Amino acid sequence: MIIGKAISPFSIKRRNGGGGGGNDADAQAFITASGISGTEATAINTLVVNLKSANIWTKMKALYPMVGGTATSCKFNLKNPVDSDAAYRLVFSGGGTFSANGYQPNGTNAYANTFFIPSVNGTLNSNHISYYSRTNSNGTEVELGTNISDAAPNSILEIRTTGVTYLAINSNAIYTTFTDANSLGFYIGNRTLSNVIKLHKNASIVSSGTTVSTSQSANSFTIGALNQGSGRFFYTTKQCAFASIGDGLTDAEALAFYNAVQTFNTTLSRQV
Amino acid sequence: MITLKDIKQAQWDLYVGLLTIEQKDSLLIQWYAPDCYFNPIQDLNDNWVISVEEMANCVNEEFIWVKDLPLIIYEPKPTPPPFN
Repeated sequence: MIIGKAISPFSIKRRNGGGGGGNDADAQAFITASGISGTEATAINTLVVNLKSANIWTKMKALYPMVGGTATSCKFNLKNPVDSDAAYRLVFSGGGTFSANGYQPNGTNAYANTFFIPSVNGTLNSNHISYYSRTNSNGTEVELGTNISDAAPNSILEIRTTGVTYLAINSNAIYTTFTDANSLGFYIGNRTLSNVIKLHKNASIVSSGTTVSTSQSANSFTIGALNQGSGRFFYTTKQCAFASIGDGLTDAEALAFYNAVQTFNTTLSRQV
Repeated sequence: MITLKDIKQAQWDLYVGLLTIEQKDSLLIQWYAPDCYFNPIQDLNDNWVISVEEMANCVNEEFIWVKDLPLIIYEPKPTPPPFN
């Protein structure tokens, strides 16, 4: 006589298809590719879970958590951790160093090519770029940028030059700016409409603009410098503990994004 | 002549390794460490140079000679701000 059949909790498949250690499947794919473990792996899993809970995971096209302390571990795109240009895997050039705190460009010739080309891979009126800076500096440095031979269209996040932070996304060289007391924290440059652009620093919207979008750069985004096609310029010294490229975010989504990234970096004891 | 062994790590940002044109050409699209590539640039005087980090961290036997490059003080090219 069969009375009932016990269901083992170990037979229940995870919603996202399972994965090692009970992690989210997307998180596990990154953990496996990058070779990280321990606290870093736990932090990555929590980050992915939080981004999905906030319904912003699908708005991300490239996420660079900068974990593992090597170029090989930092190069992977969390959204698609495949070792290929098409997956927006980073290629590091020039100097720069890697540590548990992220990627430290040298301000001389170091940068990372994302292979993300706005005119091919982006959306004209819905785009965000972000950079988590762990360095307080005040030089003429671009943290994430692309344009064409010093001409429009520009997509540039330039954190604190002579006390001012600059942002342009898919526009002429008309920048949304704000007076910045330091260059520490999580910066999000955000375009959500043809004439709506916002600059977020940590949990605050620090500047808004109406600069109209024009077109998109045909050169790939570079982390750590401005890619003008003919070369890279304005190399940064700001240590990067996270960077991203994706669709535009609502104010609430940008706040949720900050909270998720700050939690992530706090778990890794590298928050600022 | 100053070389890599003559300076401390805290001084790395001050110096760059001086390349000949032929050396510069040989380093293009070549790796110096896993997933890290050389990036020769020109300084204020149009010298081709690489960073001390690329020299010190080079593990590619084909280019291990970069560790012996003469060092010069880095003088960057002036660039106009990218913004209005």
